[in-house]
Amino acid sequence: MTKGRILLSQFGPFFGLFLVVALFATSLAVKDIADHRSADSSTWSQAARASHYDGLKAFLGVTNVKTVLLQSVIVAIGALGMTMVIVSGGIDLSAGSAVALTSVLAATFLVKGWPPAAAFAFTLLAGGLIGLINGTLIASLRMMPFIVTLGMMGVCRGLAKWVAGNQTVNTPEGSKISDLMMTDDLDHLFPLPPGVWLTLGLGVLLALLMRQTVFGRYVFAIGSNEEASRLSGIRVPLQKVIIYALAGMFFACSGLMQMARLAQGDPSGAVGLELDIIAAVVIGGASLSGGTGSVLGSLIGALVIQTLRNGSSLMNWPTFTQEIIIGAVIILAVGLDRWRQARAAR
Amino acid sequence: MKPLRILLIACALSIVTPHAAESYRIAVIPKGTTHEFWKSVNAGAFKARDELAAQGIKVEVIWKGPLKEDDRDQQIQTVENFVTRKVSGICLAPLDSQALVRPVTSAIRAKVPVLIFDSGLKSDNYVSYVSTDNYKGGVLAAGHLGKIMGGKGNVILLRYAVGSASTEEREAGFLDTLKKDFPAIKLISSDQYAGPTRETGYQASQNLLNRFARDVQGIFCPNENSTVGMTKALRDRGLAGGKVKMMGFDAGSQSVTDLKSGDVQGLVVQSPIFMGYKSVMTMVEHLQGKKVEKRIDTGVALVTPENMDEPANKDLLNPPFEKYLK
Repeated sequence: MTKGRILLSQFGPFFGLFLVVALFATSLAVKDIADHRSADSSTWSQAARASHYDGLKAFLGVTNVKTVLLQSVIVAIGALGMTMVIVSGGIDLSAGSAVALTSVLAATFLVKGWPPAAAFAFTLLAGGLIGLINGTLIASLRMMPFIVTLGMMGVCRGLAKWVAGNQTVNTPEGSKISDLMMTDDLDHLFPLPPGVWLTLGLGVLLALLMRQTVFGRYVFAIGSNEEASRLSGIRVPLQKVIIYALAGMFFACSGLMQMARLAQGDPSGAVGLELDIIAAVVIGGASLSGGTGSVLGSLIGALVIQTLRNGSSLMNWPTFTQEIIIGAVIILAVGLDRWRQARAAR
Repeated sequence: MKPLRILLIACALSIVTPHAAESYRIAVIPKGTTHEFWKSVNAGAFKARDELAAQGIKVEVIWKGPLKEDDRDQQIQTVENFVTRKVSGICLAPLDSQALVRPVTSAIRAKVPVLIFDSGLKSDNYVSYVSTDNYKGGVLAAGHLGKIMGGKGNVILLRYAVGSASTEEREAGFLDTLKKDFPAIKLISSDQYAGPTRETGYQASQNLLNRFARDVQGIFCPNENSTVGMTKALRDRGLAGGKVKMMGFDAGSQSVTDLKSGDVQGLVVQSPIFMGYKSVMTMVEHLQGKKVEKRIDTGVALVTPENMDEPANKDLLNPPFEKYLK
């Protein structure tokens, strides 16, 4: 590939985000004008001059950007873990349930009066353990990741309900935990809520891990050609166990953010979150057959999904149309990406 | 090219002119959108809008809620998105009394007033709380069920969902009254939950009846989908029609049919149209700078097969919501 093409494939997801933002900005501007027009029954151009563009301003405004960033955190952190798994040619369907389970665990630890640091550390370990079991089963029994993690999805969901006693676990009153995902000042972009910084920090860490370390090269190698990797001396089973365990810790981190956001551990929450996470990674340019994918792309993918939700909401579309549109955009984004890659390969 | 041109004009424009006086945008966020109860609330909100318009006060009511009644995160996002749209005020029926505290606090910090309706919030940082006296609804249910059971037998309470303050109050009112006024009635199950949809309610009911069908004489369900699900499960087993006394809550069209056919022996009914109406009206009064009551009761009534044809009850059972939802 030429340098230009590498650049193009690197920034592909950005085009997607730009497209979504531009689409909504245009629709909102048109809607603002139309609203104005119906009020004064003037012509389009008169209405365009007179409109205040409240909807457009709300969409591009600092408050909204901050809100979207905050709303993306849970999917984005999960997408980081999932990027590793998908690049290695696997998949983890237990992500959503793992988020629910770890959010319940974290809340339970806090209710028991553990110091927050200990509660967080053990929650991360629990997430790692879930991933460790996934990885071990997949690597040692050579089972399909799809099946193993599908099973684990049910196991985690059930465990979450069990641990929580079929109820939501409320964090102790006056706990500072909500501050992680809360913002006092919506009028200025900074200071960003801690959850957003955490996402960016984890993103940088993972990017370094994937790009600069031997482990990271192995992840790409296994995803590109597992058999060749094995023959060239990579200990594929061990690598897989590490990949899934690390991913589990990322999901636990998502779970912590979920708990902070709801101020409770919710055993029936985060249903279908794994699909949002996988969609983010795929929109970000990863291939479900392994070998390609990027950290930055996945973060942008998470932003694309959340921008779609947020934009639909600002457009006043009912929830069911949002679901249809997000589904369609996922297909479209991946379709465009394949087309782009096919052209690049020629 | 037209959208692009409009976009350019849009970007170039930055002059803000003040809004016309007495024009408000109010977001009304229900717990869900699939239950008929919420359609009636929606109708009430639109009724308030129409009446205010007749007085020359322009109110835009934006109705938006999560599709499912247990999607806390989606409801939080809805609140946040309305805050960024800088609506004049938000009327919210919180899905969870704790999880929604944070977004409501955020909204108020961003100077968007929030009114709570239907179900409570663990905070007193709101304009007003407009709802049915749910505890009283539970008391009415227990009184009627106890009476038609002759003050003895075994009772099941199928709860609705964890964290939903309104139904938890109904359940508490029911249990307290049963204990106090009908000491001979035994509670054989009160730890099962119907969950958010008819399907989940139906399944929970089937499971309960598989275990207790031979022992149970009376059942109370604290909302629409649990009532419909349980009645269906009773019918499947041939226990409907009075063999097991069934006491429900809320007037969905299915529940009303079941009441008519005698499969349900009583419904405790709220006035959702009035609730939606009162919420929007109260919010507008607040925005106009008037002082509003912190707690507004929208009433609750017991409807039985005997009194269901009385005119007042007819409107409660079949809320005329089509009239307002065009």
